[in-house]
Amino acid sequence: MKKVLVVDDSLSVARQLEKIISDSGEFTCVGHAKNGAEAIKMNHAEDPDIICMDMNMPGMDGLTALRSLSMLDKEVKVVMVTSLGGVGDKFTEALKLGAKNVISKPFEADDVLKILRAL
Amino acid sequence: MAVKFFGQFLVEKGLVSREALLKAIELQEQKNLKFGEMAVALGYVTQDDITRAHRAQLSRDIKLGDLLVQIGILTLTQLNEIITRQKNNHLYIGEALVLIGALTNEQLQQHLDDFKADQAPYISDRVELPGGISNPDVWEMAADITYKMITRVLGLPFRAGKSQTITTVATNFVMAAMDLSGDVDARFIISVSQELQKSVAKAILSEASVDNEPPEVLEDTVMEFVNVVCGNIAAKASQTGKIVTINPPVTIRPDASGLAVPAGYTGLCFPILVSEGETMQLILFVRK
Repeated sequence: MKKVLVVDDSLSVARQLEKIISDSGEFTCVGHAKNGAEAIKMNHAEDPDIICMDMNMPGMDGLTALRSLSMLDKEVKVVMVTSLGGVGDKFTEALKLGAKNVISKPFEADDVLKILRAL
Repeated sequence: MAVKFFGQFLVEKGLVSREALLKAIELQEQKNLKFGEMAVALGYVTQDDITRAHRAQLSRDIKLGDLLVQIGILTLTQLNEIITRQKNNHLYIGEALVLIGALTNEQLQQHLDDFKADQAPYISDRVELPGGISNPDVWEMAADITYKMITRVLGLPFRAGKSQTITTVATNFVMAAMDLSGDVDARFIISVSQELQKSVAKAILSEASVDNEPPEVLEDTVMEFVNVVCGNIAAKASQTGKIVTINPPVTIRPDASGLAVPAGYTGLCFPILVSEGETMQLILFVRK
């Protein structure tokens, strides 16, 4: 089963994603980080296959963390999960920094799973 | 279910690959000249003029073209000509994808039709605002997207009341806020009662009951709703060329006397009548 790390400062979004991931039977959630700095630490500790990461977080934001993760860990696949997905510049920047895809909030479980399965 | 741009739609649906989209964007960046580049190409300014103007922009919140007109390097006629040429020569992402061979023209047309259908729920309905507000188009969009998200995300039937200017916001059980910057300067606030907070939480958490949820989780769901609305406002605004930057949401806890609209700002209140006796409020503090 593929391991997924959830990164979001919102408790409720983390709960939503953790539920979608664990109910799928195909993925398992290995942790919840609340900002980019925690994400980098937990990526090293938990070695996830996939990271689902918000963009807009206090402290280190998602795009800054993505830039670091792309340099530090070539194996992990990062998907941004964000309300800013529809902002063209943000979407483009995420892809250029190495994100595999961007899931826009609000999201449906099927949309999330479709993107995770494609990785 | 969210406001998207066309390239994102294509990648999400698996119609083009991430790599093809990036290649098409690279082509766009080569072809679509920025304002300064176009002005130099037309011979109206020199590269030195642009460099000096960019330096001046660091300490002033003004668009490059407006600054060049202000300091007398460009005329208004030349400014308008540059903007028109940019629009007329603009390579759109769909066209770029055809040029790199990722799509055929027929596929592009079909996908554009599908995209329009996907985004149809987010076509703006008219929202009335009091007069004299800066960037009224953005605030109309903000109210409209808030209403749409109440329907789509929260699943709550409601009636939108008439917007009004205010000088104080009455205290409520939870007030979640997000600061907006970029081409605007504003604070977006959603104010809810305890019962409405539970309704928001049930929807966001997809739970039938939230009676056993800790207060911080319930509060977080209102903040997340604000985050979702404002992110989609930023996305919709970007489609009209307006940059709206958002910060992480916060909760505000005014005392019993309420929250005064800060000096230099106009307060707008959009009452949202959700059910008998329950009213949510969208409040905007907009820089004058």
